[in-house]
Amino acid sequence: MLERRSALVTAHPYRSPVLKIEEAPGFSLLQLAGSETALAKSAGTLPDRVGVAAFHKGRTIFRIGPAQFWAVGPEGDDLARKLEGKCAVTSLTSSRTRILLDGPPARDVLAKGIAIDWHESVFKPGCFALTGVHHMPLAFHCTGASSFHLYAMRTFAMSIYELLTDAALEFAHA
Amino acid sequence: MTAFRRLSHGGRIDRARPVSATYDGKPLAGFAGDTLASALLANNKIVVGRSFKYHRPRGVFSAGVEEPNALFTLGEGARSEPNIPATTTDLVGGLVVRSQNAWPSPDFDLMAVNSVLSPLLQSGFYYKTFMGPTKGAWMFYERFIRRAAGLGKATSTADPDRYEHRHEFCDVLVVGSGPAGLAAALTAARSGARVSLVEQDSNFGGSLLSSSDAYDEAWRQQAIAELQSRPNARLRTRTIAQGLYDGNLAVCVERREHLSPDPAKGEARQVLVHVTYKSLVLATGAIERPLVFSNNDRPGVMLASAVGTYLNRYAVAPHKRAVIVTNNDSAYRTAFDAAASGIAVTIADLRSRPPAQLIARAVDLGVAVFPGTGVADIEGSKALSRVKLSGAHAAAIECDVLGMSGGWSPTVHLSSHGGIKPKYEEMIAAFVPGGFATSHFAAGAMMGSFGQVAAITEGATAGASAAAHAGFAKAKLVLPSDAMTGETIGVPPALTPMTGGKGKAFVDFQSDVITKDIKNAKEEGYLSVEHLKRYTTLGMGTDQGKTSNINALAMMAEHRGISIPEAGTTTFRPPYAPLAMGAIAGRSIGAHFRPRRLSPLHDWNAANGCTFIEAGPWMRAWYYAWAGNTPETAYVKEMELVRRGVGIADVSTLGKIDVQGSDAAEFINRLYVNGFKKLPIGKARYGVMLNDDGVVLDDGTTTRLADDHFYMTTTTAMAGEVMSWMEFLLQCHWTNLDVQLCSLTDEWGGMAVSGPKSRQALQLAFPHSDLSNENLPYMGCLDIMHDGVKVRVLRLSFSGELAYEVHVSADYCIALWEHILESAAPLGIKPYGLEALASLRIEKGHVAGLELDHRNTLDDLGLGKMASKDKPYIGKELRLRENLQAENRWSLVGLELMDPDKKLRGGSILFAATDEIKGHGRGYITSVTWSVELNKFIALGLFEGGLRHAGEEIIAAFPLKNEQVRLKLVSPHFIDREGARLHA
Repeated sequence: MLERRSALVTAHPYRSPVLKIEEAPGFSLLQLAGSETALAKSAGTLPDRVGVAAFHKGRTIFRIGPAQFWAVGPEGDDLARKLEGKCAVTSLTSSRTRILLDGPPARDVLAKGIAIDWHESVFKPGCFALTGVHHMPLAFHCTGASSFHLYAMRTFAMSIYELLTDAALEFAHA
Repeated sequence: MTAFRRLSHGGRIDRARPVSATYDGKPLAGFAGDTLASALLANNKIVVGRSFKYHRPRGVFSAGVEEPNALFTLGEGARSEPNIPATTTDLVGGLVVRSQNAWPSPDFDLMAVNSVLSPLLQSGFYYKTFMGPTKGAWMFYERFIRRAAGLGKATSTADPDRYEHRHEFCDVLVVGSGPAGLAAALTAARSGARVSLVEQDSNFGGSLLSSSDAYDEAWRQQAIAELQSRPNARLRTRTIAQGLYDGNLAVCVERREHLSPDPAKGEARQVLVHVTYKSLVLATGAIERPLVFSNNDRPGVMLASAVGTYLNRYAVAPHKRAVIVTNNDSAYRTAFDAAASGIAVTIADLRSRPPAQLIARAVDLGVAVFPGTGVADIEGSKALSRVKLSGAHAAAIECDVLGMSGGWSPTVHLSSHGGIKPKYEEMIAAFVPGGFATSHFAAGAMMGSFGQVAAITEGATAGASAAAHAGFAKAKLVLPSDAMTGETIGVPPALTPMTGGKGKAFVDFQSDVITKDIKNAKEEGYLSVEHLKRYTTLGMGTDQGKTSNINALAMMAEHRGISIPEAGTTTFRPPYAPLAMGAIAGRSIGAHFRPRRLSPLHDWNAANGCTFIEAGPWMRAWYYAWAGNTPETAYVKEMELVRRGVGIADVSTLGKIDVQGSDAAEFINRLYVNGFKKLPIGKARYGVMLNDDGVVLDDGTTTRLADDHFYMTTTTAMAGEVMSWMEFLLQCHWTNLDVQLCSLTDEWGGMAVSGPKSRQALQLAFPHSDLSNENLPYMGCLDIMHDGVKVRVLRLSFSGELAYEVHVSADYCIALWEHILESAAPLGIKPYGLEALASLRIEKGHVAGLELDHRNTLDDLGLGKMASKDKPYIGKELRLRENLQAENRWSLVGLELMDPDKKLRGGSILFAATDEIKGHGRGYITSVTWSVELNKFIALGLFEGGLRHAGEEIIAAFPLKNEQVRLKLVSPHFIDREGARLHA
């Protein structure tokens, strides 16, 4: 099989005793679109609003637009085959680079570039946001108290990774 | 003669922590807790600068952000920063301070000759001297004048420090931590609201920090301690709220210089904080006004409140004697504190009957009070030696300092940023906020309510209201201490300048505007406050007239015989105080000045001799080293490769959109001007779409993958706009259509394999797939599997040669690219870049972004025949407007250079051969290239009347280089008009 190559192969690794910023590969991403009723029957519970994620049979579902959803599953997920003919399914696995931010300073780092209320009482685990950083689109999923998955457009991934690690420079020396 | 000394006790300085800075190369000693200004005074540095225009000696004038005089250049080399007020600068170890606008020193400044020339330098001098016949003289004198006037010089080297932005959210934002702000923040915090308190000073407390009253201090400490103990309160010092904006947004800048931040460790010197709040309490206090009299700018003349602050907060006192001149009650507090410290004090009160209780207290403390008395003049050249009083007690008094108080101006700047003009309040002779947005509240001196009891009471109420507005229950109000007493400003202060002296009476100290300038402005017709400002420079500079505006306005009103409100109000705009440009830029610098977008082939290109060029956010492969070291030579070789063999180019930047749904064909058919409904599965078609104004929006190809599934490509530049346009149409206009969209621009990478040997090349790469002309004809599409990965091969051509686009999931792009290069190596395949790509299409006559500039119609671009007459499509009706169909429109033409020894330049203006070469001409050149096929420069352009002039000789002029060349106007299709190569 052809060699798969990440957008962050040449990225300078970020090392910190208190914070991880690294690529989190090993997922599949599908855009599902069409009738919500039909989608719910096939893909399971759908999130009722944009800001939260739904979990169903090992997959995380985000609402990303009118009758549009993202389904994040394990690598090699067969959801697309199951949904064939039931809704519009588009694979976006290559289109997004998933970046993990994990550690107590994560919220401080995010607050440096993104106009979202990152307070732990507001952006709680399970919350999801479609937003942007430095004019680049970016999606966030809060996966734990101080843990986030960022879905960056592949072509902007390096730029975003560099911005994040730069914002986290002060914690690299913690 | 003015002299100051450090007291042996008192103040908020830490005598156990001495600090040493350098001032003009000499040591300057102080203590932790000092500002640069307090350290200068403690060291008896009286003349600390020279004025802007007249180079008059100036001393420390205030103790806060309003300081007009004591400005310095701080730091060295790249960190050198001019015009920083000493009054807001923490004295830290190693601080390097240089005086400015004086040579060789503030004490002895040769440019003080300006003061002698002052009759020539009054307002309007430049306008009058350098307009009309003498206008040309400005060019000569400018550099001398600029050297003689002005403040410090900025460094021209890059700022090595780090600046960051930060986004914060809170329920209640409180600006200012004086008694009103502390009461507001604490009351709001008690309700459970998330409170953010920002204070511009290095410590919390505002006016309380300058108080000598133990009860005041106890209350301050208790309030701060409770706030700090609450996890829902965030307190910040050294943070200025610079502006308020729509959407409940405050922009604040936090200074961290005192921490000696190390940029290499990611430590920021300043942080620009975007605070989004649900409600806001403004407790910004008030700024004391000076009085206007002869020589009121002499070092040793300062604001009365500043005398009190230096005494109580920094333990820096006038040597022996102080005179206080006031038109209100507030300055008595300073006078009494000074007297209690053993300083002989005289009060000249402009009012004939000062309040009896103040007189009584003055008697107790041995302070002489002269009612109905003002100041006629100041004696002394470089510093104050004697104050000449006028009025009821005309006398001359030797003293060290003159503290003056002309009343207080509420700091209404932030309340005005939303566009609400302040209103004039007669009782305090000052402007107060003219109103508030529903989520905004205010308290204390900024509302014109003076004294601590009023500030705390109003602050607590405002804090409670703000918390309630943010959805929190009313909490227990913070109360003033029982020992605190109310204080008012007394009777309305008079604003008329005092007379009696012959010296200059300054209204705006920083801009050197004197009373005479105001009068001149009025006499010359600059009546409005806005004109007054621009004519005299009043209110400009780093202090933005914080101490001068009201006095100037009052004078203009008096000259015009109108009231102050009738004379107008100043418009306050952000920022409230100067800030570093770096704070605005944040980390959007260097490579991250703007977003950088990388193709999935970027890493390969970077490692294989590619030179990149910025195209919008994209870093695109421009040309490759195998072809040459300059774009001029490389692109020609790369073109030859494609015309004669086979080349491969990165086209991943093209927009790609997945269109699915039972109405997908109908939707695309409405979008493009040409028909797509009957496009067979497995076939691609070139399409052009118009905007709803009938002008060309974009072009591209769309391939039908299934009955209900299409794969659309757009130009690189318009990818985002076309996607948004399609989503808008589906979500707003055609909601009944069953169509689903998904951008695939990042999901799929693309490579163009072009040239007569391209089929051979791909057949070598994909030996198990039939890529013959029969199986994959021109405009055909084939999805194949290669090494476990789906590959889409589209037979499309931008270059005009036999060519293919090979699309694959972005993650596999480099592997597939390398596979094709390796497989087709025997054919001599090599990569080619954007320059060649864009030049090959010129030879073919394909339009691109330079022609698709949102001003041209289908017919302008020679594409009118594509438009369907049988179906509706977006822009159909409006494209047929009379003006868009006019015969003389600038239309697409080909151009050949007739002068072989000359060069053709993009952007050249086109003229008919008989035209005078002047003005906008009859068109312009959009794209130029060297043609490897025709061996000459060719171009595409837009020319009036277009191809109706085919065969004519025309002129291209390039005025920037004073060049003119002869061109032959021809068809834009320079090669293979029959399309034989495409179909080979």
